[in-house]
Amino acid sequence: MNYWPLYVSLMALAVVGTARWQSARQQSVLLPMAISCFLVVLWELACRWTQSRIFPTPGQTWAGLLELIESNRLWGDIAASLFRVTWGFVLAVAVGIPLGLVVGWSTRTFRALNPIIQGLRPISPIAWIPIAILWFGIGDGAGIFLIFLSSFFPITVGTMAAVRNISLVHQRSAMNFGLSGLELFRRVVLPAALPQIITSLRIALGVAWLVIVAAEMVGMDSGLGYLINDARNAGSRYDLVVATMLVIGMIGIVLDLLIRRLERFDEVRWGYATR
Amino acid sequence: MTTQQKVVFEKVTKLFQRKGEDLEVLRDIDLSVAQGEFVCLLGPSGCGKSTLLNIAGGFERPTSGRVLIDGESVLGPDSRRVFVFQEYGIFPWASVWDNVALGLRQLSKDEQQRIVSQVIELVGLKGFESTYPQELSGGMKQRVEVARALAVDPDVIFMDEPFGALDSLTRLSLRSELIRIWHESGKTILFVTHDVDESIQLAQRIVVFTDRPGCIREIVPVPMEHPRDLGSPEYGQIKNRLYDLLGVSHQV
Repeated sequence: MNYWPLYVSLMALAVVGTARWQSARQQSVLLPMAISCFLVVLWELACRWTQSRIFPTPGQTWAGLLELIESNRLWGDIAASLFRVTWGFVLAVAVGIPLGLVVGWSTRTFRALNPIIQGLRPISPIAWIPIAILWFGIGDGAGIFLIFLSSFFPITVGTMAAVRNISLVHQRSAMNFGLSGLELFRRVVLPAALPQIITSLRIALGVAWLVIVAAEMVGMDSGLGYLINDARNAGSRYDLVVATMLVIGMIGIVLDLLIRRLERFDEVRWGYATR
Repeated sequence: MTTQQKVVFEKVTKLFQRKGEDLEVLRDIDLSVAQGEFVCLLGPSGCGKSTLLNIAGGFERPTSGRVLIDGESVLGPDSRRVFVFQEYGIFPWASVWDNVALGLRQLSKDEQQRIVSQVIELVGLKGFESTYPQELSGGMKQRVEVARALAVDPDVIFMDEPFGALDSLTRLSLRSELIRIWHESGKTILFVTHDVDESIQLAQRIVVFTDRPGCIREIVPVPMEHPRDLGSPEYGQIKNRLYDLLGVSHQV
């Protein structure tokens, strides 16, 4: 019998117990790590108690992860998923932000287009998969199209709402100093909406990362979603399934951290509560 | 000697629609403000004095009547007459410098540089040019807004309770600075307030409003030179007069 869960729990308890002597920065690193350790221990114990032969233990998952890394398979699939997400997201930003600014600012355009946008928005990107494959075939095109759809709506709707929230005082200031046309957009509408736009980018990127995995499981022959499906189909390799899931989670964290860096610029910091 | 009339209100009436009913906010306002004059509009909250200022600023249209500035009807906002808002109208996404330069976009860089540094000096914000409004106190934000207004060298400045959100000491010092700037620049200023002391400290004439629908109850002149002595008998008499007109008692 292996006693590592006991030692790990004791170490994690020591970290949690000494939390009051840690700085805020240390706490925000050490405490989540300690809690993750507890979760891994629970996972291990659950495997031992249930004596499951299919569900992988933490050790088996770790071995599976190393196997994926060594076989060079993982990097190709990560690259495939990130490629689709990047292009779909960039296209959605390029179309969604200008569209949202115009529709949000012009009441007539808003009345004309908002019902259509709101009607298309609740259709899950997953429901578009058959059409994506019909139009673009199995491959990157379909993936990029689906990511475009799944990011486009949060970005457009978020930008629209941000513009419609611009305070009356700022609108009147702009009018008072004679701003109009492109200058009005560049100096007032866009900067006023930017903090909320960045929040919608964050949401959109999160959704995109969820959708790409689902799309690759159904309609593609590469990427992390495909890897999960393939590992299950090729001899129930659940160790590889769970290892891939953890990789997906890690990349999701990194993507969110990257996009949150946008919130730190002087031009947008006013838009976020400081806590 | 005839003084030139700068801003003239002619029978200005304003109705608002609320839940299908007409709400009369202003009724038959007749008022002329002379070139270079400092006039306070004083009244209880909701008496329509801010609405009147917004009409003069071109942000709202009167239901009937009209406002003339230099003999021309006001049809919309114009950078020759600048509005200073109660809640900060400066842009939080732009530095102090960029805020103040907002109305100078057509000028050359050198010209912008000259004017912006001059007005920033005038309002006492030297050294804060690259600061963002978020890092400034309420009083300093309001100075930025005044600087932004002065930069375009307007004929008229409309101020809608500009010091309402500030603490009383900051208010007092900003008032004396406003008077100094007014003396130096000779602008026509219309200043909305519900603060009796503020109006006596600032204005040459105080226009006292009634409750809704807002009408002019009386126009009280303040024949005192600046700097004004807040403890003088004359000050006290005007104050009593204003309290009487507003229908408030003198004792608490």
